[in-house]
Amino acid sequence: MAVLAKRERRLLWVAAVPMAVLALSCVYPVFFALNNALKTNKGYILDRFGLVTAPTLDNFVTAWQRARLGEYFVNSVITTAGAVLLLLAVSSLAGFALAMLRFPFRRFLFLVILASLMIPVQVVLVPFYRTIIALDLVNTRIGLIISYTAFFLPFSVYMMTAFYSRLPRELVEAARMDGASILQIWWNVMLPMGKPALITLGILNTLYCWNDVLISLLVLQKERTVMVGIAALRGEYTTNVPLLTAGIVLAAAPIVIIYVFFQRQIVNGIAVGAVKG
Amino acid sequence: MQAKLSALLLAGTILAAAPAKAQEITVWDWKSGDPAAASYYEKVKGDFEAAHPGVTVNYVMQPLDQYYTLLGTALSSHAGPDLFLMNGGAQAKARIPALLRLDDKVADLRKTVIGWPEFTGADGGVYAVPLSIQGFVVYYDKKLYRDAGLDPDKPPRTWADLARVCAAIKAKGAVPCFSMGNKEGYGAEFWFSTMAANEWTAGEQQDFAAGRLKWSSPQVKAILQSWVDAGKAGWFQDGPNSTTKFMDEYEGFMRGEDANTIGLISDVAHWKQFDDFLGADDGVFRMPSPTLAADKTEGDPMMPVAGGIGYGVNKASVHADLAVELAKALAAPAAMQVFFTDTGAIASNTGVDTSKVDSPAAKAILAWLKTKGVPTAHANATAKELEEWHRQSQLLLNGEATVDAAAARLDAVQADARK
Amino acid sequence: MGSKAERRIGLLFVLPAIMLVGLFRLFPLAWGFVLSFTDSNGFGRSSFVGFDNYVAIAHDPVFRDSIENTLILIATLPVWVMLPLLLAILIHQGVPGGRIFRAVYFFPAVLSTVIIGSIFNVVLRFDGSLNAFLKAVGLVPVDWLGNGATALASLIAVQLWATFGMSLLIFMAGLSTVSTELIEAARLDGARPLQIWIHVIVPALRPIIEFVAVVTTIGVLTSMFGLIYVLTAGGPGTATTLPEFLIWLEQGKMNQPGYAAAISMVLFVILGGLAYVQIRIMSRNANL
Repeated sequence: MAVLAKRERRLLWVAAVPMAVLALSCVYPVFFALNNALKTNKGYILDRFGLVTAPTLDNFVTAWQRARLGEYFVNSVITTAGAVLLLLAVSSLAGFALAMLRFPFRRFLFLVILASLMIPVQVVLVPFYRTIIALDLVNTRIGLIISYTAFFLPFSVYMMTAFYSRLPRELVEAARMDGASILQIWWNVMLPMGKPALITLGILNTLYCWNDVLISLLVLQKERTVMVGIAALRGEYTTNVPLLTAGIVLAAAPIVIIYVFFQRQIVNGIAVGAVKG
Repeated sequence: MQAKLSALLLAGTILAAAPAKAQEITVWDWKSGDPAAASYYEKVKGDFEAAHPGVTVNYVMQPLDQYYTLLGTALSSHAGPDLFLMNGGAQAKARIPALLRLDDKVADLRKTVIGWPEFTGADGGVYAVPLSIQGFVVYYDKKLYRDAGLDPDKPPRTWADLARVCAAIKAKGAVPCFSMGNKEGYGAEFWFSTMAANEWTAGEQQDFAAGRLKWSSPQVKAILQSWVDAGKAGWFQDGPNSTTKFMDEYEGFMRGEDANTIGLISDVAHWKQFDDFLGADDGVFRMPSPTLAADKTEGDPMMPVAGGIGYGVNKASVHADLAVELAKALAAPAAMQVFFTDTGAIASNTGVDTSKVDSPAAKAILAWLKTKGVPTAHANATAKELEEWHRQSQLLLNGEATVDAAAARLDAVQADARK
Repeated sequence: MGSKAERRIGLLFVLPAIMLVGLFRLFPLAWGFVLSFTDSNGFGRSSFVGFDNYVAIAHDPVFRDSIENTLILIATLPVWVMLPLLLAILIHQGVPGGRIFRAVYFFPAVLSTVIIGSIFNVVLRFDGSLNAFLKAVGLVPVDWLGNGATALASLIAVQLWATFGMSLLIFMAGLSTVSTELIEAARLDGARPLQIWIHVIVPALRPIIEFVAVVTTIGVLTSMFGLIYVLTAGGPGTATTLPEFLIWLEQGKMNQPGYAAAISMVLFVILGGLAYVQIRIMSRNANL
């Protein structure tokens, strides 16, 4: 960043104040979750806001066992990782083609993908489920991977298309001049150029898949995923909030750890694609 | 190719209906993961598998917020469970087309088990085996009664009593008279049935259940009016429309922040839970009403009682007979004994021994169950009417609708739903 | 015009996406469309009822209210796009603490709705912490979630808070590829920060802004169910009933898949129309 004007500096300091307040509000849930996960249910009911007085780790143990997190983690990791990789591959291919290549029905196919983004999930549940049954994919991890890919694909393709369409088409033409095949262009030019978008998509899709409850409930009925295990910790009408928050802390921990731990790499990755003007 | 595809389809359907082994009974509910009910479910599974070699019972617990969506999806995809739990009343009745009629199969249970009407179809057949009995009573905090100068051992018996109690508690100014959670409209639902219990004759209850008693009739409008009046008189705590019934309302009561609350006798928000917080100060009475039906007695209010939850058998199940057996096993006295002891839910099976319970509140409720039960009016309304009553009750409390306007709107919904 | 290879391979590259989308999204959509003309209760027999469901919707005051609420929601859409964009630009321009902010702003997006719901339930209810604060500073408490005048606004605020981190992340990714030379050149020409934003950064981000606008619109109208369920249950009255919540109600609770499907089709058309308008506006601006 170049030397900034003094007034601009001052402006940024002024903006930092409300931004810091917003940041505090974003940290509060983490405090809320940890603080309450350490309370007993009775302790929480009697004092919802106060700082935990007699912290107990019982909720974590109970949540781990009752939500069967040990077993379910494996399912979540496999299905999330599989779906995210598939999503990135399929969407970068499609996004590249839709944004950069010239072929028949290009606009129409883009509109089809865009339209599929607007379908409310509730209404496609029954036919979607019948399709899964007909393909014999119920209770299989591959079934869930395919389902996730199908559900989050429109968003991913659209994002990759939007991202690639900002890049100059000369990139493709120059590479073609050099004799590169289109597949090579995708692999050698488009994937590296698309790194910021791909990392962002990777993060968002990981979150969507990891946090999903509804699709997983339908497809994996015998072996569950972590979030379904957590969802089952909610009572019929009342919820044991400390137990639930303990479960959520456990379930969200891998995501938060990955995000915080790899923040540097993620930030660098997002910054790397900078186009020279 | 065609044959192969349909074979695949068929295989898929069968696989989903009875995953893995042929002799596996799949049961859907939203309870089996609850630790309080764990030993009950384990016992039934253990006993049933021992009695039926080669059969495996597979409980699948679903989250309640998506339960009926998932159930509907599975049933319409011909991949539903063999046996599934339902709430009695509107929810069970809406699913009768998917349920096996059980009349001749449960004949032996009819005498000992109660709560059938909530699982009975328009054709008069029964479609599920009731597990628990649900009812509404008022729990009160004896300490707060004492603080307000009231006799904690003389809870209200008439509407005038209740008005005096609320006036005294209001005058004391420390806590509201009633804890009221109406965010989902449940507060108004409970109010409706406790009022109808004493304001309606048995005939009027039947008329309402059949859709003949309109919401704009004087009998129903009186209940709507009582709801508005209680709100205006300041009986409820502030912000009932942003208070959830099952979390906020009852937790407030357990913290000792409200003098009375309309609670349940089974599942949650019942004597077992309140005893845990209030101890000996957990009192209970039956809700009186401002007017009295001809067949009711002043000073001796009745309470709404109905079948709570029950298991129905999927008509499409390939193991329907085994599923019926399992449903009966789930409602059997020995199993229900465990259910009652662990969860405090009042079992629909009257063979359950309740003599060992030492909670005074539970003893009172168990005694009333024998003679003071009347139908739960709202359980006999259609799902559409109930949903609209939730909405209108909030508007009534906020002063955004009049009783006449609310009744007119509910009439329209009733007519539409009963078409 | 692309070469022959490009035409063939272009199609080939899109094929996997189209197949998945077709099988799991479009085919179910067509099914839903057919369903919306039946009186299906989900199981057992169902028959075609023509436009009955659509006629019923047109006369359903709850549906009408849900559309009104949708219009209010749509009116707030610029905020949903501009707030994260503004924050992303500020961070990109090196606001003090920016590194911490960008990490922390993403936290709400990681959390599940259940946790967010539990927290805001205790914050916003009548005896919640927000009103305790208002009373402490001498103001009148408000029934944020229980009052028809404030319930929808409260819900929108919570959802905005819960999701702005995602849009921020996407904008950050887009900003990282805005040529720094371009910004420097403008700065050397004496352009003010605001001018640089409007004339350099925003045009360069146009496809990303369009993307966020369209995705946010769809997200706002199709993924607020969790929060509605936990915070207001659609009430008071119909104040926070959105079409999406109504679809869940009719399908799950009322067991009326045909009716729910008809509402879904209307929602689908509204979303399509909105996306079309947004894309048109963005494209026109680009040509200016």
